[in-house]
Amino acid sequence: MRNELFAMIVVILILVAFPVSLFAYQAWRTSARDARVIELIANVPNKGGWSPDTLRVNVGERVRLRISSPDVVHGFAIPALGIQVDEILPGHVAEIEFTATRADRIPFACTRWCSVDHWRMRGIIEVIDPAHPQPLPPTVVPPLYQQLGVDIDAPHSAQNVPLQKPSAARGALLNLMIADDLRVKSPSKVFAALRGDPALVTYRDDELWDAIAFAWKQNAGAEALARGQKLYARDCAACHGETGKGDGPAGRNLPGLGAMGHGLKPGPADFTDASHMLGASDVLLQGKILRGGMGTGMPEWRTLYTDDEMWAVVSYLRSFVFEYR
Amino acid sequence: MSQLELTRVPLVKRILVSRWLPWAFIAITLPVFLLAILTGFFGTPAGSRNFGIIFVWIVWWGLLILWMLPFAGRLWCAICPIPAPGEWLQRRALIQPRAGGKLYTLGWKWPRRLNHIWLQNASFLAVALFSVVILTTPFISALVLTLFAITALGTSLLFERRIFCRYLCPVGGFIGLYAQLAPVQVRVKDRVICATHKDKTCYLGSDAGYGCPWLVFPAALAKNTYCGMCTECFKTCPLDNIALSARPLGADLLTNAGRRLDEAYKAFIMLTCALVYSVVLIGPWSVLKETAYAVGTAGWWVYAIIFLAANLALVPGIFYVCAALAQKLARVTPPMRTRRVFIEYAYTLVPLGLAAWAAFSVSFVPINLSYAWQVLSDPFGWGWDLFGTANWHWTPYLAGAQAFLQIPILLAGLVGAIAIAFRTAREQHASPPTALPIIAFCVAYTLVMVGLYV
Repeated sequence: MRNELFAMIVVILILVAFPVSLFAYQAWRTSARDARVIELIANVPNKGGWSPDTLRVNVGERVRLRISSPDVVHGFAIPALGIQVDEILPGHVAEIEFTATRADRIPFACTRWCSVDHWRMRGIIEVIDPAHPQPLPPTVVPPLYQQLGVDIDAPHSAQNVPLQKPSAARGALLNLMIADDLRVKSPSKVFAALRGDPALVTYRDDELWDAIAFAWKQNAGAEALARGQKLYARDCAACHGETGKGDGPAGRNLPGLGAMGHGLKPGPADFTDASHMLGASDVLLQGKILRGGMGTGMPEWRTLYTDDEMWAVVSYLRSFVFEYR
Repeated sequence: MSQLELTRVPLVKRILVSRWLPWAFIAITLPVFLLAILTGFFGTPAGSRNFGIIFVWIVWWGLLILWMLPFAGRLWCAICPIPAPGEWLQRRALIQPRAGGKLYTLGWKWPRRLNHIWLQNASFLAVALFSVVILTTPFISALVLTLFAITALGTSLLFERRIFCRYLCPVGGFIGLYAQLAPVQVRVKDRVICATHKDKTCYLGSDAGYGCPWLVFPAALAKNTYCGMCTECFKTCPLDNIALSARPLGADLLTNAGRRLDEAYKAFIMLTCALVYSVVLIGPWSVLKETAYAVGTAGWWVYAIIFLAANLALVPGIFYVCAALAQKLARVTPPMRTRRVFIEYAYTLVPLGLAAWAAFSVSFVPINLSYAWQVLSDPFGWGWDLFGTANWHWTPYLAGAQAFLQIPILLAGLVGAIAIAFRTAREQHASPPTALPIIAFCVAYTLVMVGLYV
């Protein structure tokens, strides 16, 4: 009888106490007195994307996100809070903590090319002020291209294109100062202005282009170029291609520029096409990046990139038509 | 046939008659089984980080195919946790026997017309058809395991003894088939003693224990197929007439007696599935794996039809032609029916089939085994690290060396099959060379498998 009782106790422990202890341990592990714990699941976009995709937190509330992936490797970033998790491996849990200090709508996103629809994998953190519990409407600050009235959907073919790739290194040797606002004018327009300057008649066309390449490189700065290169590799290369030719694998089935008319060839923009790139100002390129291409498949990046990041990417795009090394 | 009676060792005898056996083992396997179900339902859907997937389909499967089946026969059935709760409810006891071995069940008799393993063949095929999904999706895997457990529990409450294990379990069918190869057996020592023992306590039960849960009369045991090695007969035999013995590999296959069509078909199904899985799961054609995974699509229906046709008609059909040729060559008088020749020769596929499954398992068990360390520390994929191994990197064990194991295994299976084929021919009073069409079938199958793995 004692044997039977012992066996009975063991079986009850196995069937009842064992499962209960597993869930109790998990509850204890994930409870936190100092933070609110939110489980965030990263599914590929065609399986639902972030779950939940809207997080509501209070101003000043310490939040612990436990991020897990059931399918493939994802990344996670809250750019506005400077939070970045490089990889969320399937079956692993990544934990991050943050405290939002003011009522806001803060976007978060996957930062790994998890699928062809990766760019759709975004979510919003609604930071609520308990004193004014209604979530804030999205803030609307007109971007620079709107402030300047630039039509970013208009054709922008360059009037002048160099015969060879302009070199910033050669341009540096010329000691030519370019006074134009390089963000609002396209390189082609800057070239036209320089070519029309009687003081520069002694310079050949290719020399002026080298000077323009140098000016753009100087204007960007090495740090921004390096940052832009990283962002481009992470967010743009899958569609636009590693070398900027618009031949990335994720862009193959996108309508691309063909959806915009103007007789442009379908597919993502080819950043090595000088006539296309040299006719576009930085403001125009920034506008395209932050707004996205309507119907082209180009996602919007305004909610994810800071201003600096946006300009860094624009600067890096120039390296496909200017020789910066 | 030479045998070594292990029960002559007092310690072995003492362990086998102890009522703590097999409970003590089930007390280990039951929480593992329970954890596999819980992690399947509540853990991460990422199979490689889910205890249920890794411990059932890698660790358990590897142990079963590569160790238990070839060397210990039905040992798994003795310690399997699935029928345990039902059996405990039947007995209303965990360890101690009830007076007279009484069972508390409705006691329904299993229908005589279902006294075969066709249902096990069907249940195995059903699982096999969806295996790509079951093996990779924790939730579905847990659902299937739960279905097994509920069915086992239900049949225990309604029927006598272990009906689930004997007639329904998809795994039990092939374990029984391949247990014929095992170098161990449970048999009576002297059938005359059994014949004169009127109480038949080994079958009916006694104050010392329960009647054979597997509905087997030990004195009639001629092969391992239906002995679950539960050790109950060791406890109920008052005459010390049950022995656990070591014996040569494949001893049950030396005679054609008792060979049946349902068991023959089990051999075909197992042989065919090993080939189909090797092509679909291991082969370089990812589209096949994707199709097998896309349950319900038009492509999957085509896969399902081909899969079932290959198992039930194509491979048995080819073998039937080989058996008919062997029969023609043999010209035995009086002539045997082709159907009988077909059934008897089908048992040559037992060593070949087990070798094929072992070779198939070698291709994925060592490669994925290191995931076991991760899921031990974090069974649910919830971010635990119980033993500090949660973040150990995946390490493919024996990477690049599989073929050096697979080819000898497949060749050993072929040698066994040829030996059984010759033996089967002799048992049919035919000369061994008349088995050549059967041997040609076995050689062709082995060459295809070797081709897939080299």
